Amino acid sequence: MLALGLGGAALALLAFGLLVRWPGALGLGLAALGSEYAVLFAAEGSTLDRLTPVYAAGLLLVAELAFWSIERRVPAWSEPTALEWRLARLGAACVGAAGVASLATVSAAAATGGGGVVLEGFGVGAAIGSVVILALLMRRLFLR
Amino acid sequence: MTRSATGKLHVYVVLSGLGLLGGLTLGRPELVAIAAPFALFVALALVRAKAPSLKASCEIARERQLEGRRVDLFLELSADRTVPRLEVFVDLPDALVAEAPNPILIRLPRGERHELEVPLRCVHWGLHEVGEVVWRARDAYGLLVYEGRAGEAHPLKVYPRGENVQRLLRPFETQAFSGNQVARNRGEGIEFADLRPFTPGDRVRRINWRATARRGEPWVNEMHPERNADVVLFLDTFAEARRDDLGTLDLSVRAAAALAALYLREKDRVGVVSFGGVLNWLTVTSGTTQLYRIVDSLLDAQIILSYAWKDLDVIPPRTLPPRALVIALSPLLDDRAVGALLDLRARGFDLAVIELSPFSFVPEGESEVEQLAYRLWRLRREALRSKYAALGVPIVEWREGVPMEAVVEEVRAFRRHARVLRA
Repeated sequence: MLALGLGGAALALLAFGLLVRWPGALGLGLAALGSEYAVLFAAEGSTLDRLTPVYAAGLLLVAELAFWSIERRVPAWSEPTALEWRLARLGAACVGAAGVASLATVSAAAATGGGGVVLEGFGVGAAIGSVVILALLMRRLFLR
Repeated sequence: MTRSATGKLHVYVVLSGLGLLGGLTLGRPELVAIAAPFALFVALALVRAKAPSLKASCEIARERQLEGRRVDLFLELSADRTVPRLEVFVDLPDALVAEAPNPILIRLPRGERHELEVPLRCVHWGLHEVGEVVWRARDAYGLLVYEGRAGEAHPLKVYPRGENVQRLLRPFETQAFSGNQVARNRGEGIEFADLRPFTPGDRVRRINWRATARRGEPWVNEMHPERNADVVLFLDTFAEARRDDLGTLDLSVRAAAALAALYLREKDRVGVVSFGGVLNWLTVTSGTTQLYRIVDSLLDAQIILSYAWKDLDVIPPRTLPPRALVIALSPLLDDRAVGALLDLRARGFDLAVIELSPFSFVPEGESEVEQLAYRLWRLRREALRSKYAALGVPIVEWREGVPMEAVVEEVRAFRRHARVLRA
């Protein structure tokens, strides 16, 4: 029920975000979709979900298409190649996302058997480090 | 150039953080797996972020064009790195309308020159600047936006569309130099004026043989000489009635340009006085160069608000030569202009007033009080018109949509019966 509710909320938020062209609502909708997935596999048990790469690629595709929809419109396309390039990049991003998600899943599966405090600490550090690196990159870009 | 982050960047960073930290909290690698692509996406975009250096060069097919016609603008764009999505907007003044899509979206590969042809329609006269381009580039990931301006502004002179006038107002008095106006006095010329008895010194070729045979003594023809005239176009730029697309100043500038061209073609000397918040003038001269001078000075004509009282004394005396025909183009909305025209008449100038009717630019109003005020305003204008007419000044109302030919003809009809009064 919770998953269903989260799915419905995600759908409503995404629709609202598209309607009013507000990125915040789209972000909340995407977060709700992720939460729905988390609730689903939490209910299913402890086995790793094989469809995670597909879901990751799908989520990225939804996010990309949603943000494309709310971009400011330019009335004329002088070149159809601009559209073709964008579609190609979108496809590549989805494939890449599936690849990255597969890699993460496989790494997690490999580490499940021989895990330990060191490995877990390493994972925690990696996760926090990733967020910190992103924050630093943004800071470097916009404060210089 | 400015750089800004899109909402997408913020959302992706937050999603990455939520996914990674949620994975840690719940102990589920799946959350990390679905957050990792977002994190990688953002990291790649931020590491590879570099502002494009865009160059734009512009050329205009013509530097001068007539109102209502087209002029082509050629743009050449290049960038030091590939810009996957470049929005280009040619910054145009309201008086110019692009007849091609503007803005446009293109992909600009590195080192390539992208040529654009933008046809522009000149909808309003004036001195405009074109060629500056406003651009917006997004990075390949759609997370960062760069905005800037490029290109150089080029001047484009749009001359006012001429009104169709065939016959001109004939001045009461002509000048000493030869021209195309038939003078009222008698002398050497082509146009027949009268007959008179032969006097010693008359040329034999001027003898009218029929009259001589009938009267039994020699009679000669008298002729009207062809002389030039001095014409001063007096523009009232104190105030105007205006709506979005047209105003009384536009009408007066168009009329002045047309009249100047026609009088100069007739070898007359033409000058311009733009009497308003700022005083501009051109002394009377003839020739094609003067036409360009006049049209260029008309492009500068604009309404500048001023409360300073001005009368004819501020106008340099040489600007209004004696015996000149003064054609005033005025909406008669400002007391200073009304007073100056009355003063001109009192000084004995041959004056004709073309009143640029403000009625089509001023709505009557809906309420009873507004309609009453409107009627009172109309009555006051009627009284003012009568005042000019009583002084022997031809005053003709020129409404939007009425050909100027009809207005000139009306002035001619008035002047046929009017006589110059000397103060």
